[in-house]
Amino acid sequence: MSSINPECNKLKKDYDECFNSWYVDSFLKGKKSNKCDELFKEYRACIMRTLKEKKIDVLIDESIKNSTVNKK
Amino acid sequence: MVKFFKQVTDLKHSWEQLTLAVWSKYPNPHSSHVLTSDVVDRYVDSRTGYLYTTRVFLKTHNLPKWGRKLVSNNEAFVVEHSVCKPNEGTMVVSQKNLSHAKLLLVEETQKFIRKNELETTMVTKARITSNIWGPLCSKIESVGLKRMIEGTKNSCNGLLYAVDKLKTSKNAFAFKNSLKALK
Repeated sequence: MSSINPECNKLKKDYDECFNSWYVDSFLKGKKSNKCDELFKEYRACIMRTLKEKKIDVLIDESIKNSTVNKK
Repeated sequence: MVKFFKQVTDLKHSWEQLTLAVWSKYPNPHSSHVLTSDVVDRYVDSRTGYLYTTRVFLKTHNLPKWGRKLVSNNEAFVVEHSVCKPNEGTMVVSQKNLSHAKLLLVEETQKFIRKNELETTMVTKARITSNIWGPLCSKIESVGLKRMIEGTKNSCNGLLYAVDKLKTSKNAFAFKNSLKALK
């Protein structure tokens, strides 16, 4: 599945692959690991530029703030 | 005005398999209207061990003729918040549209609850709200609800497609062993 910015597709693919194996091998087993953090940082920086241009970033922040799912 | 919809389904897949499939659900043949998918925020709460994720999708929609007069383009951003609680065997995934939200806000929440080692209960809830007054409001919500019910079916089929794909992918063996080791 493509990213909102096709230029971020490679970063997205690398991150997604890392995340899927982290999810099964670390997260679900209760093991702590931050092996995908660096990949996520790079990928996120890439897509945030596009989301800012489209002015969606503000709506997303607002939604995170108000979401009942995200409440701890 | 507000309209509600709720559905409970038992799926013959483990909770681990289904929640893994949530992350690789798109693309699938039942959701060709989903054009892009991105993770914009994700973290594990160190105290609880819960995984919080926010994703953003760009989707197209086929509006009826009268709707096209109200909305200038046929693309909409959708945001998804989720929380995954592995110790409790539950995951809540909630989507809503960011674009045209004043016209019609469609919120869909799926909760995956571990039933036993092989089965998962999925509870789908949808809420449709329109802030337009007058006769159009009810029309907008009725169309929204009809599409919501269709959308829920497609969403479920898309997820089942993703589970099957995971089970037959080149990584399937590794995933199967990893998931087996969890039990």
